[in-house]
Amino acid sequence: MKNNVKITRIKASMTQEQLARKVGVTRQTIGLIEKGEYNPTLQLCIAIAKELNKTLDELYWEVEL
Amino acid sequence: MKSWISFFLPNDEYKERKMLYFFSEGSIILFLSLIAMVICNYYFNISTETALLLSIAVFLFYVLGRYILSGIEYTDIATEKSYNRELKTIFIRTGSFVVIFMVCYLIFGNTPSSQNEWIEIIGFLLSVGLVWFIINFISLKRSYKRNKDLI
Repeated sequence: MKNNVKITRIKASMTQEQLARKVGVTRQTIGLIEKGEYNPTLQLCIAIAKELNKTLDELYWEVEL
Repeated sequence: MKSWISFFLPNDEYKERKMLYFFSEGSIILFLSLIAMVICNYYFNISTETALLLSIAVFLFYVLGRYILSGIEYTDIATEKSYNRELKTIFIRTGSFVVIFMVCYLIFGNTPSSQNEWIEIIGFLLSVGLVWFIINFISLKRSYKRNKDLI
Protein backbone atom coordinates (compact mmCIF):
# COMPACT_ATOMS: atom_id res chain seq x y z
CA MET A 1 0.00 0.00 0.00
CA LYS A 2 1.50 3.33 -1.09
CA ASN A 3 1.53 5.96 1.62
CA ASN A 4 3.03 9.22 2.85
CA VAL A 5 4.58 7.92 6.06
CA LYS A 6 8.20 8.28 4.99
CA ILE A 7 7.86 11.85 3.67
CA THR A 8 5.89 12.94 6.72
CA ARG A 9 8.35 11.32 9.11
CA ILE A 10 11.32 13.01 7.43
CA LYS A 11 9.49 16.36 7.52
CA ALA A 12 8.92 15.82 11.24
CA SER A 13 12.70 15.22 11.63
CA MET A 14 12.13 11.82 13.10
CA THR A 15 14.16 8.67 12.48
CA GLN A 16 12.59 5.28 11.79
CA GLU A 17 13.89 4.11 15.14
CA GLN A 18 12.29 7.00 17.04
CA LEU A 19 8.92 6.50 15.38
CA ALA A 20 9.13 2.75 15.92
CA ARG A 21 9.83 3.20 19.63
CA LYS A 22 6.97 5.67 20.02
CA VAL A 23 4.37 3.39 18.41
CA GLY A 24 5.73 0.18 19.94
CA VAL A 25 6.98 -1.71 16.90
CA THR A 26 10.41 -2.48 15.42
CA ARG A 27 12.32 -0.29 12.98
CA GLN A 28 11.96 -3.05 10.40
CA THR A 29 8.16 -2.79 10.61
CA ILE A 30 8.27 0.99 10.04
CA GLY A 31 10.60 0.44 7.08
CA LEU A 32 8.24 -2.13 5.58
CA ILE A 33 5.23 0.16 6.02
CA GLU A 34 7.07 3.06 4.37
CA LYS A 35 8.04 0.87 1.44
CA GLY A 36 4.46 -0.35 1.12
CA GLU A 37 5.48 -3.95 1.76
CA TYR A 38 3.38 -4.36 4.87
CA ASN A 39 -0.17 -3.23 5.55
CA PRO A 40 -0.40 -2.28 9.22
CA THR A 41 -3.46 -2.84 11.39
CA LEU A 42 -5.84 0.07 11.87
CA GLN A 43 -4.57 0.38 15.44
CA LEU A 44 -0.98 0.89 14.23
CA CYS A 45 -2.10 3.24 11.43
CA ILE A 46 -3.78 5.44 14.03
CA ALA A 47 -0.77 5.31 16.36
CA ILE A 48 1.55 6.42 13.52
CA ALA A 49 -0.86 9.16 12.41
CA LYS A 50 -1.08 10.50 15.97
CA GLU A 51 2.70 10.54 16.37
CA LEU A 52 3.13 12.38 13.08
CA ASN A 53 0.21 14.75 13.80
CA LYS A 54 -1.60 13.78 10.62
CA THR A 55 -4.97 12.27 9.76
CA LEU A 56 -5.34 8.79 8.31
CA ASP A 57 -6.39 10.36 5.00
CA GLU A 58 -3.21 12.43 4.80
CA LEU A 59 -1.01 9.43 5.46
CA TYR A 60 -2.71 6.51 3.79
CA TRP A 61 -5.25 7.68 1.25
CA GLU A 62 -4.33 6.82 -2.35
CA VAL A 63 -1.38 8.97 -3.27
CA GLU A 64 0.79 9.57 -6.28
CA LEU A 65 4.42 8.81 -5.39
CA MET B 1 -7.49 -10.72 19.65
CA LYS B 2 -7.07 -12.81 22.77
CA SER B 3 -5.61 -16.29 22.50
CA TRP B 4 -3.27 -18.35 24.65
CA ILE B 5 -0.81 -18.47 21.76
CA SER B 6 -0.24 -14.71 22.19
CA PHE B 7 2.00 -15.67 25.08
CA PHE B 8 4.51 -17.19 22.63
CA LEU B 9 4.32 -14.38 20.08
CA PRO B 10 6.45 -11.23 19.83
CA ASN B 11 4.97 -7.79 20.60
CA ASP B 12 5.76 -6.33 17.19
CA GLU B 13 2.70 -6.84 14.98
CA TYR B 14 4.60 -7.63 11.76
CA LYS B 15 6.73 -10.23 13.53
CA GLU B 16 3.64 -11.59 15.27
CA ARG B 17 1.81 -12.04 11.98
CA LYS B 18 4.83 -13.70 10.37
CA MET B 19 5.20 -16.11 13.28
CA LEU B 20 1.51 -17.02 13.06
CA TYR B 21 2.00 -17.84 9.37
CA PHE B 22 5.04 -20.00 10.17
CA PHE B 23 3.19 -21.88 12.91
CA SER B 24 0.16 -22.41 10.66
CA GLU B 25 2.27 -23.61 7.72
CA GLY B 26 4.23 -25.85 10.07
CA SER B 27 1.00 -27.34 11.44
CA ILE B 28 -0.32 -28.12 7.95
CA ILE B 29 3.00 -29.70 6.92
CA LEU B 30 2.97 -31.70 10.15
CA PHE B 31 -0.57 -32.86 9.42
CA LEU B 32 0.40 -33.92 5.88
CA SER B 33 3.54 -35.70 7.14
CA LEU B 34 1.40 -37.58 9.69
CA ILE B 35 -0.93 -38.72 6.89
CA ALA B 36 2.13 -39.77 4.85
CA MET B 37 3.41 -41.72 7.85
CA VAL B 38 0.07 -43.49 8.33
CA ILE B 39 0.18 -44.57 4.66
CA CYS B 40 3.86 -45.59 4.91
CA ASN B 41 3.06 -47.60 8.01
CA TYR B 42 1.08 -50.05 5.83
CA TYR B 43 4.20 -50.86 3.83
CA PHE B 44 7.07 -50.31 6.31
CA ASN B 45 7.20 -50.87 10.00
CA ILE B 46 7.65 -47.44 11.60
CA SER B 47 8.15 -47.54 15.37
CA THR B 48 6.13 -45.17 17.57
CA GLU B 49 9.30 -43.45 18.76
CA THR B 50 10.49 -42.80 15.19
CA ALA B 51 7.09 -41.46 14.16
CA LEU B 52 6.88 -39.13 17.16
CA LEU B 53 10.44 -37.84 16.79
CA LEU B 54 9.99 -37.35 13.05
CA SER B 55 6.80 -35.36 13.63
CA ILE B 56 8.48 -33.09 16.16
CA ALA B 57 11.50 -32.67 13.86
CA VAL B 58 9.34 -31.78 10.84
CA PHE B 59 7.50 -29.07 12.76
CA LEU B 60 10.56 -27.64 14.50
CA PHE B 61 12.79 -27.63 11.41
CA TYR B 62 10.12 -25.99 9.30
CA VAL B 63 9.23 -23.23 11.77
CA LEU B 64 12.88 -22.59 12.71
CA GLY B 65 13.99 -22.65 9.07
CA ARG B 66 11.32 -20.19 8.00
CA TYR B 67 12.12 -17.92 10.95
CA ILE B 68 15.85 -17.87 10.19
CA LEU B 69 15.42 -17.30 6.46
CA SER B 70 12.77 -14.60 6.87
CA GLY B 71 15.30 -12.14 8.35
CA ILE B 72 12.99 -10.90 11.09
CA GLU B 73 15.18 -11.72 14.07
CA TYR B 74 17.64 -8.82 14.09
CA THR B 75 15.25 -5.97 13.34
CA ASP B 76 17.66 -3.14 14.13
CA ILE B 77 20.71 -4.31 12.19
CA ALA B 78 20.83 -2.08 9.13
CA THR B 79 24.38 -0.70 8.95
CA GLU B 80 27.70 -2.46 8.38
CA LYS B 81 28.95 -1.27 11.75
CA SER B 82 26.01 -2.73 13.68
CA TYR B 83 26.24 -5.92 11.58
CA ASN B 84 29.90 -6.44 12.50
CA ARG B 85 29.18 -5.67 16.16
CA GLU B 86 26.32 -8.18 16.26
CA LEU B 87 28.44 -10.82 14.50
CA LYS B 88 31.08 -10.38 17.18
CA THR B 89 28.39 -10.71 19.88
CA ILE B 90 27.10 -13.93 18.31
CA PHE B 91 30.63 -15.33 18.18
CA ILE B 92 31.28 -14.48 21.84
CA ARG B 93 27.86 -15.82 22.91
CA THR B 94 28.44 -19.12 21.10
CA GLY B 95 31.95 -19.45 22.54
CA SER B 96 30.67 -18.70 26.05
CA PHE B 97 27.96 -21.33 25.69
CA VAL B 98 30.49 -23.98 24.65
CA VAL B 99 32.86 -23.11 27.52
CA ILE B 100 30.12 -22.88 30.20
CA PHE B 101 28.52 -26.14 29.04
CA MET B 102 31.90 -27.88 29.13
CA VAL B 103 32.66 -26.58 32.65
CA CYS B 104 29.17 -27.58 33.92
CA TYR B 105 29.55 -31.01 32.33
CA LEU B 106 32.90 -31.54 34.03
CA ILE B 107 31.59 -30.34 37.41
CA PHE B 108 28.12 -31.94 37.52
CA GLY B 109 28.40 -34.71 34.94
CA ASN B 110 30.85 -37.53 34.53
CA THR B 111 34.44 -36.59 33.86
CA PRO B 112 35.51 -38.37 30.66
CA SER B 113 37.78 -41.27 31.57
CA SER B 114 39.26 -42.13 28.21
CA GLN B 115 40.59 -40.25 25.21
CA ASN B 116 37.59 -41.42 23.19
CA GLU B 117 35.15 -39.93 25.70
CA TRP B 118 37.03 -36.62 25.61
CA ILE B 119 36.88 -36.56 21.82
CA GLU B 120 33.18 -37.45 21.98
CA ILE B 121 32.19 -34.63 24.34
CA ILE B 122 34.43 -32.02 22.70
CA GLY B 123 33.23 -33.07 19.26
CA PHE B 124 29.61 -32.88 20.37
CA LEU B 125 30.05 -29.44 21.91
CA LEU B 126 31.91 -28.07 18.90
CA SER B 127 29.21 -29.41 16.55
CA VAL B 128 26.41 -27.86 18.62
CA GLY B 129 28.34 -24.58 18.84
CA LEU B 130 28.99 -24.57 15.10
CA VAL B 131 25.35 -25.28 14.23
CA TRP B 132 24.18 -22.59 16.65
CA PHE B 133 26.66 -20.09 15.19
CA ILE B 134 25.65 -20.91 11.60
CA ILE B 135 21.94 -20.53 12.45
CA ASN B 136 22.54 -17.12 14.04
CA PHE B 137 24.88 -16.06 11.27
CA ILE B 138 22.35 -16.87 8.52
CA SER B 139 19.60 -15.11 10.47
CA LEU B 140 21.79 -12.05 10.98
CA LYS B 141 22.89 -11.95 7.35
CA ARG B 142 19.28 -12.20 6.12
CA SER B 143 18.10 -9.56 8.60
CA TYR B 144 20.91 -7.19 7.61
CA LYS B 145 20.24 -7.64 3.90
CA ARG B 146 16.55 -6.98 4.44
CA ASN B 147 16.92 -4.00 6.78
CA LYS B 148 19.52 -2.34 4.54
CA ASP B 149 16.90 -1.93 1.82
CA LEU B 150 14.34 -0.49 4.22
CA ILE B 151 16.27 2.56 5.42
